[in-house]
Amino acid sequence: MRRFVLGLAWRETRGAWRHFGYFLACVTLGVSALVGVGSFADSLERTVARSAKSLMGGDVEIRSTQPLPEDPAALAAPGSGPPAVTRVRELVAMAQASPDETQLVELKAVERGYPLYGTLVTDPAGPLDRLIGGGRVLVHDSLLTRLGLRVGDRLRIGDALLTIAGRIVTEPDRAVGVFSLGPRVMIAAEDLDRTGLVRPGSRVRYRTLFRLPAGADPAAFRDALAARLPAAQRVHTYAQAQPGLRRFWDQLTMYLGLTGLVALMVGGIGVAVSVSAFVKEKLPSIAILKALGAGSRPLLAAYLLQTLLLGLGGSVAGAILGSLVQPLLAPALTRLLPIQIELAFSLRAVLRGVAMGVGVTALYALWPLLAIRRVPPSMILRHEIEPRLVGRRPWAATVPIAAGLAALALWQAGSWKIGALFAGGLGAALVLLAAGARGVIALARRVRWRAPAWRQGAANLHRPGSHAGPVLISLGLAVMLVVSIALLDRSLRAELVDRGAGQAPAFFFIDIQPDQAETFAALVAAHGAAAPAELTPVVRSRLTAINGEPIAPRERSGREDAWYLTREYVLTWAATPPGHNTLVAGRWWTPEEAARAAAPGSRGEPLISVEEEIARQLGVGLGGTLTFDIQGVPITARVSSLRHVDWRSLSSNFFVIFSPGALEGAPTTFIATVRARPEDEGRLQSAVVAALPNVTAIPVREVLERVGAVLDQIALAVRLVAAFSVGAGLVVMAGALAITRQQRLYQSVILKALGATRGFVARVFAVEYALLGAAGGLAGSALAAALAWAVLRWAFDVPWRWAPGTLAAGVLAATGLALLVGILGTRRLLARRPLGVLRGE
Amino acid sequence: MIRVQSLSMRLASGGRAVDVLTDVSLEVPAGQFVAIAGPSGSGKSTLLGLIAGLDQPTAGRIEVAGVVVTALDEDALARFRRDHVGYVFQSFHLVPTLTALENVAVPLELAGDADAEARARALLAEVGLAERAHHYPVQLSGGEQQRVAVARALARRPPLLLADEPTGNLDSATGKQIIDLLVGANRRLGRTLVLVTHDPALAAHADRVVTLRDGRIVSDE
Repeated sequence: MRRFVLGLAWRETRGAWRHFGYFLACVTLGVSALVGVGSFADSLERTVARSAKSLMGGDVEIRSTQPLPEDPAALAAPGSGPPAVTRVRELVAMAQASPDETQLVELKAVERGYPLYGTLVTDPAGPLDRLIGGGRVLVHDSLLTRLGLRVGDRLRIGDALLTIAGRIVTEPDRAVGVFSLGPRVMIAAEDLDRTGLVRPGSRVRYRTLFRLPAGADPAAFRDALAARLPAAQRVHTYAQAQPGLRRFWDQLTMYLGLTGLVALMVGGIGVAVSVSAFVKEKLPSIAILKALGAGSRPLLAAYLLQTLLLGLGGSVAGAILGSLVQPLLAPALTRLLPIQIELAFSLRAVLRGVAMGVGVTALYALWPLLAIRRVPPSMILRHEIEPRLVGRRPWAATVPIAAGLAALALWQAGSWKIGALFAGGLGAALVLLAAGARGVIALARRVRWRAPAWRQGAANLHRPGSHAGPVLISLGLAVMLVVSIALLDRSLRAELVDRGAGQAPAFFFIDIQPDQAETFAALVAAHGAAAPAELTPVVRSRLTAINGEPIAPRERSGREDAWYLTREYVLTWAATPPGHNTLVAGRWWTPEEAARAAAPGSRGEPLISVEEEIARQLGVGLGGTLTFDIQGVPITARVSSLRHVDWRSLSSNFFVIFSPGALEGAPTTFIATVRARPEDEGRLQSAVVAALPNVTAIPVREVLERVGAVLDQIALAVRLVAAFSVGAGLVVMAGALAITRQQRLYQSVILKALGATRGFVARVFAVEYALLGAAGGLAGSALAAALAWAVLRWAFDVPWRWAPGTLAAGVLAATGLALLVGILGTRRLLARRPLGVLRGE
Repeated sequence: MIRVQSLSMRLASGGRAVDVLTDVSLEVPAGQFVAIAGPSGSGKSTLLGLIAGLDQPTAGRIEVAGVVVTALDEDALARFRRDHVGYVFQSFHLVPTLTALENVAVPLELAGDADAEARARALLAEVGLAERAHHYPVQLSGGEQQRVAVARALARRPPLLLADEPTGNLDSATGKQIIDLLVGANRRLGRTLVLVTHDPALAAHADRVVTLRDGRIVSDE
């Protein structure tokens, strides 16, 4: 029996490679998308892991917005020699080339010993202490370009006049976020002190880096430090380097992987179509084998084995193609990264892609293959009647098929939640598209077209043996993916960039000292502000306890996802609820309540209003308490209201607002939003920076443009991967066309024999494919609109924007591509003369 | 109606050239019923196909109803068939994607007949298939398919009916129904009928029997 199964599978496969060209192309395209993305993700992971120590700048890092309370040298590694230590301070500041030319920069102050790992590459090269210190700084190229400076020129930062001693070519521990606020300026620690930028309440990131002696355990060292230091000091090992970066890339590559999985799912439909056509062609042979005594089980096993062999072949080809595609995908993504990614072949991505390919092939092929069980041996006796299968359709098999596909989605996503959402969404899309396809086919049957070519073309959609259903589903799925990406990109861009540019303030000014607030307001009013500056007091803090329960140090350092526990909380106070804020629970304090809470020696606690989402994450409700550490002083406050904040408002918004007076005495700075006409912006910025050099101006439009550029890069990468789905959709269509080639040839010559011109026959096929494309495009675009709406509504909290142009483009492009495939697939048929074909020559 | 002069057809088969027809000349006056007889491979069907312009001969000239068929290009040939020829094939050759009614309506629609559906329906009723109008070819028996094919051939009231072994795939009772329909069109409506057959009994119904052997006319009685 086994020999029969293996022999039949091999014989059928041997002769079927050409027959299964489209099957293979479908699997190959899908797997190559997965392997391309997977290989890139692995290359990225490997690069980050390999350079983790230099990315962080040490084995262990203490990071805080407050200075370290004790001498780092005293924090010796347990059980071994003293570690090497260096300290780094980072902040944003304004660099001034002349009174009229100012630029936001990311300032980094380093000490002797920096960097502990990796190499700082400069031009000119030389020891760091010869390049910086004594009023000399190193700057990134882009600063020289933007301010028109050269090495040797001078610039002012804060109160210090500094000389540019060289350029920074590579900086090992540059915070590799997706975008930066400005070019890097590297300064010596003692020079930073001369700038006067570091004041109470200034936004400074303090980093203390340790290189441990050989053999020391970084995790143990981290735990020892975390236990000893106050909660405001976060401690990480190099293995946790760049958690934000990792999270961003993990998510991006996960979504790209799922986009690739859609290509494979679309390809799966092509597999089902090919297998279905193959089984139909083999029905007489199967009937003969059954008449000779072969059972359904070995026949099914043989054809399943054959399908798996073909799936394996397609998957291996896809893995090779995907590995080759990786360098094409990488440039679109690596533009977002300041580190050089070492692209490498990834065996893990290949094995995973091949397993996915074979899995999807088996699951999609199973349904058509199950028809083998329903072939009666008596079929050999009845030739001219359309073959009729016996027994019921095996509906029960849909359960394991759907479960298998969902399991593959979960595996690819690597997350129960995202995987389930993906599988649910895909399942719903498939069901809706299948229902839509039935509707279109029924409509094609009902509508009475006047023109004969239209009538015949439409008839091809509902004729016996038509593949309109699978073609519509696969095309619709690909269109849905591509159009939803375009819609999301458009809506996000409109929301973040275009609307922002219209409604956002010109600047956010930060680090305004209390004694500078009056001067600042006057300066802004005198230099072209369109409205008086809105000054808001801010106090920087860390969360230390929730409802009286301290947050454990390990929880702070160990859980990367608990950003709401470890983040810096910027607090403010207000007498009335700010605009763009709506109370959703509790009530705002009265002046009396606020005064009572702030009265010295009173038993009342300060009151706070908390943003609803962060309250949910922290598990605190009305009446609960939050304790903040403000420069070492704990303040516990009671939640009196919860707010919904419109984060899209581009004003200064806060998670936690205190009742007035409660933060009296805390180190306070002011932030200000300033509106100005574009032509006054430069003058305004220069005037503020010249008079108040410690104040930093963040040009909102420039930042929004950078956000837009990042969005463009992400959208480009997603489109590249989504293109595989479109490719797979077109292959499914071309495959369906190839399967029906004989039928079409036959139809075309009969029509010609009856008096139809070649133009007429071409129009019939064009109508059929245009209708298929338009219907697939319409269904896909409608689903894309629904998907984009849902994602915008629930994932981004951004309003849906009606984009008729994008939707129409989706329908038109689908129609055009379908027509192209149809014309390319049928043009040779038109040249055939009828007699030979009709006589079977 | 038909004038065939020095017609030759050479086809490549299995890597070598085969003369399917050699120097065939034939004239058929309007309204005549001609049977073309001969053994398998004698060139009967090829001759019929060339008269309909379904292929181009290697040499020779064919004129049908005053139109020089051999001088027409593909599309002109299609229009010629639409307006002058009704063809019935041995294997029916219905469009599998269309119902019986739609198959009969095709030639009428191609000619822009505004009343195509009603006429097609009437023709189906004439061949006794009014009840099967909305069935696809695969849902019809061989005899039913051939009756649809005859209705389709008669749809445009063509002056010339060509039938290529129309009963070859049918049992004798069904075959008789088909012959009655075709001969009726010839006798009652005056259509010229050229019928390929190797059945002597069927050929006996014809006004004239032309016999082919190895691509040449060997008798014309």
